[in-house]
Amino acid sequence: MGAKVRIELDPLGVVLEAEAGATLESLLSEYGVEFPCGASGLCGGCKVQVLEGAAEPEEADLLALTEDEIAAGYRLACRLRADSPLKLRVEQWSMPVLSDDTEGARLGRSGLAVAIDLGTTTIVAQLLDLKTGEVVGLRTALNPQSAFGADVMSRVRASIESPELTRVIREFLGQTIADMAGHRLPEIVEVVLVGNTVMHHLFCGLDVKPLAHVPFHSAHLGEQRLEPEALDWRLAPRARVRFLPCLGGFVGSDILAGILATGLHVGPKLRALVDLGTNGEIALGNSERILCASTAAGTAFEAGAIRMGMRAAAGAISHVFWDGSSLRCGVIGETAPRGICGSGLIDAVAAGLDMGSILPNGRIANGTRELLLHQPVKLFQADVRELQLAKGAIAAGLRILLDHWGARMDEIECVYLAGAFGNYVRPESACRIGLLEVPAERLVPSGNTALRGAKLAIGVEEFPVMNIIEHVPLASDPQFEDKFVSCMAFPADADALRQA
Amino acid sequence: MADLTKLFDAVVDGDAKTTLEMTKQAIAENIQPEEIVSKYMIPAMDEVGRRFEAEEYFVPELLLAGRAMKGALEILRPLLAASGAKPAGKVVIGTVKGDLHDIGKNLVAAMLEGAGFEVTDLGTDVSPEKFVEAVNTKDAQIVCLSALLTVTMPAMKSTVEALTSAGVRDKVKVMIGGAPVTDQYAREIGADSYSENASAAVAAARTLVAA
Repeated sequence: MGAKVRIELDPLGVVLEAEAGATLESLLSEYGVEFPCGASGLCGGCKVQVLEGAAEPEEADLLALTEDEIAAGYRLACRLRADSPLKLRVEQWSMPVLSDDTEGARLGRSGLAVAIDLGTTTIVAQLLDLKTGEVVGLRTALNPQSAFGADVMSRVRASIESPELTRVIREFLGQTIADMAGHRLPEIVEVVLVGNTVMHHLFCGLDVKPLAHVPFHSAHLGEQRLEPEALDWRLAPRARVRFLPCLGGFVGSDILAGILATGLHVGPKLRALVDLGTNGEIALGNSERILCASTAAGTAFEAGAIRMGMRAAAGAISHVFWDGSSLRCGVIGETAPRGICGSGLIDAVAAGLDMGSILPNGRIANGTRELLLHQPVKLFQADVRELQLAKGAIAAGLRILLDHWGARMDEIECVYLAGAFGNYVRPESACRIGLLEVPAERLVPSGNTALRGAKLAIGVEEFPVMNIIEHVPLASDPQFEDKFVSCMAFPADADALRQA
Repeated sequence: MADLTKLFDAVVDGDAKTTLEMTKQAIAENIQPEEIVSKYMIPAMDEVGRRFEAEEYFVPELLLAGRAMKGALEILRPLLAASGAKPAGKVVIGTVKGDLHDIGKNLVAAMLEGAGFEVTDLGTDVSPEKFVEAVNTKDAQIVCLSALLTVTMPAMKSTVEALTSAGVRDKVKVMIGGAPVTDQYAREIGADSYSENASAAVAAARTLVAA
């Protein structure tokens, strides 16, 4: 064994040891750093800032990064070597994680509580004062299970092979809570967690095998209460830790929390809640009955599998519109565009439809199979196809829930868009591409409804709303294929909705 | 005389109604069913495959063309059987145990049928035993396995193993496909072929029966 060199990664505070002189790419990859161009030194997407230590810029750095960036200590992670101890700030991890500013429940007693939105990709935790309802602490992070795979299915597969995923997430959250609460840790009386079914099972140490095959149904969907001691968390022994119940299939407590946060279950109006992600979740209903479903949308909304796709970080085209004579692009950060993020993708296709460059069947009509957005960023034919699959799955899911409910699309009073993506997508564009087939003014970006709902659930023993929620399995619905395929096409013109 | 280039166009356009009308008209005019299939339907589905490869067509167009052709084949099939016409090959297809996804599998089945293969579709969540049984009863030359989830891929391996232990592995070729499946995985589990999409599956099937 050679000498070891200490590498610290901000903002997560991860510390690793690398073989002296070794390249860092594979080690960083294990810890969730992404290399969009396959570590070829071309795209600059793996950029890190050297906060402590020294790393001389190489030729690839000089080509991919600007002079200012080089001067500020930015380097390509795929070219770094462990010659000396380094402290690096990982640019990708600085992406915005959607938190929630609302107050928690005011229970009028002293003590603290913690609400955690445990997402497949990101985690948000808040510390709340039970007397005032105030948010007194906040932590955001990437889910450390990302090293085992990006989507829920690869996590399921990884956890069938190794019990590590449960240990990793429990340890990480225990540490997160301890850091956030500091000396007030013993004052915590309750921790409420929400997340999708796979996150629920992995955190609670439940068997995920039933989630790996037909009918994708686990017998342990209910609320789980765990002892701090069993989790190896340094909380007061009487503190209770609860993971809220799943709603069925892959629809988890994040959607239950979303229902609580948006008040979907209050009043007679028919409304929907949609969480656009790799696993798209939909809830539809009112005070009498709520139907929910999940549908596999692929990674297009996060700009995965998109040729020049990237996260919503500096250099990403996040907005595109057609002003009648030219395409205009909005780029995140004061920098040249180098890729396109999920909201930009939806905008770009909407603009392409408006300018006639993309046909309703999805074909890029100019004969080149690509559309230049802003030099050097292009939209490719295969990207449009990815989006067709994703939006087809969501739109078909909502149509099927409406059929089960016995209502028409125009009877939906509003659609709450949950999650980060729902907050950044332009409602007009989501409508233009037929992702959601209601008028734009009925789309309501609703922020992190999972976290808000988790806060509302603090101190609440029972959720009567569970009695009116029904899970609809889409994959086995005989209508799904037909609806999915017809939902892959784009509306012919922007006014199609109003005329329909 | 019916203008059968219209039949070709109708299949390519996924126009089921015209496809069926033109087929009926052709039969009424005593055009041989083999000729209808080999001169119009198969070339039409080849054109559909070409457009898919060229990124002009996508899943909906493929599926519509497949359905148009299927409707016509339903009235042609008994006539073909009566005249003793031989299919391009016999294929058994299904989505493996544990998996319910069938759109990709349906597309492959439709394209193979369009290419003149006799296709037995076992549906979804098909056990290894059912695959073995169908290979035997249908005397299939090719068995196609589909999986969309990384977690159901191992069922492809157990199906190949079941074919081996039933002693039929050397008389049937195994083709696999589905989003998470790769060429390398095909080699790992001892399958004969991997296809990336429905159009590539036709080319692969033609190669497999010719081998």
